[in-house]
Amino acid sequence: MSQVHSNLHRSALADWWEGTRRTDIWWTLAWFDVVLRYRRSMLGPLWLTLSMGIMIGGMGPLYASLFGTQLDKFFPHLALGVIFWGFFSAIVTDACNAFVGASNYLKQGYFPISLFVWRGLGRNLIQFAHQIVLYIPVALWAGVSLSWSVLLVIPAFLILIVNAHALGLLLGLICTRYRDVTQIITSIMQMLMFLTPVFWLPENLPGRAKYVLWNPFAQMLDLLRTPLMGGVAHLESWIGIGLWTVLCLTAASVMFVKYRRRVVYWL
Amino acid sequence: MASISLKNVSVSFPIYGAGSVSLKKTLAASVTGGRFGKETGVTVVQALSGLNLELKSGDRLGLIGHNGAGKSTLLRTLAGVYEPSSGEFTRQGSVASLIDPALGIEMDATGIENIMLRGLVMGMSKKEVDRLTPDICEFSGLGEYVNMPVRTYSTGMMMRLAFSISTSVEADILLMDEWLSVGDAAFTEKAEKRMRDVVSKSGILVLASHSPELIAKECNRVIHLEHGRIVES
Repeated sequence: MSQVHSNLHRSALADWWEGTRRTDIWWTLAWFDVVLRYRRSMLGPLWLTLSMGIMIGGMGPLYASLFGTQLDKFFPHLALGVIFWGFFSAIVTDACNAFVGASNYLKQGYFPISLFVWRGLGRNLIQFAHQIVLYIPVALWAGVSLSWSVLLVIPAFLILIVNAHALGLLLGLICTRYRDVTQIITSIMQMLMFLTPVFWLPENLPGRAKYVLWNPFAQMLDLLRTPLMGGVAHLESWIGIGLWTVLCLTAASVMFVKYRRRVVYWL
Repeated sequence: MASISLKNVSVSFPIYGAGSVSLKKTLAASVTGGRFGKETGVTVVQALSGLNLELKSGDRLGLIGHNGAGKSTLLRTLAGVYEPSSGEFTRQGSVASLIDPALGIEMDATGIENIMLRGLVMGMSKKEVDRLTPDICEFSGLGEYVNMPVRTYSTGMMMRLAFSISTSVEADILLMDEWLSVGDAAFTEKAEKRMRDVVSKSGILVLASHSPELIAKECNRVIHLEHGRIVES
């Protein structure tokens, strides 16, 4: 914690960096969030892997026959869809609780609030790591052949992190002030799960319905999933996500600059 | 050098009743011209108004006042929790806040893990925490219990752990809400000595208390708060 504290001339960037640079704090908090949740269970965080595995394993054959597609084409699509969707939706819903859940810290002393957004993101990254490993056996079984384009998943993932952090600040602030936004977000996410090609194949969409693919989650999913299945993501997805990122960053910066020190009053 | 300076500092809380925290009601109010969601009117509580205060090293400030006079709010403002709604606030030096030491103890984590968590949150690095951990365990007198989850502790043991952690760092500025005394007779004595130690090492002490004797004993300056104003200093 800094030695000089004043309410004058504080730059928002310095506040943000103060919270971001303390990786040891937020990573430890995130780690404990995961560890403590599973402390009293025998398998521990492996439950994350197991329950996701059961879900994918159960849904794969059923949905493949429902959609009339070959299982080895459909299974990787479904596995990545469900895993990434779980990650997206956990990020969004956790963002709503980032500050409300940290009130015991925030009411105790000065904390740069970005710290708690990183904590939520860290926690979700740990959970995601436990689930994405499931894709390895699925890809091997289905014989997915990867090309160099798989490397595009790295910039896509970085964009995801930037968006997740910006959205975390934004939703965290809004949901602390207006508590029922959390409920709204939860139901929107449920609806979006069906509007995003998590389960279904985008190729099956009839022409007029293609506009559904313009939702940012569908585009993000395209950027992350397609290279991992040996394909190349659509250019529109890159453009769409680029615009979305700019929008998200702007909104988050405006809110952060204005309200970062007001949050405590809303708790 | 530790110093605290408050110039014309005010802190006011918007109290959002169930009415205005709800987006639905705010929207209803704006759409219907306010007739529908009348209860959205936000009450503002002026917790501190126009405070002026200068503290430098060696100052031992006592805060007195009835319940709700603003003592805890002032302590929290000094800790940096609440940013003043208006006025200038500058503080120099590291701060240790003993306002509510048990806040933020994780029930499912062990004693040792709680030391790490609290230590980091108090601004220490992992290395510093590792260095201090044996001392903290030793002082808390919890023995083997430090490796057990805190939920198995009695209230007294939990307080001992919290006390041992929060008094383990030296700080230039010490903020306290009432004198801390925890544990059984033997531990109280040890804790008392530790408190003396921490207080004597700190540059500035700000102590809020309802006990005139305590304030008279510990402090060399006293301010009396009433309705968020200094009425006497």
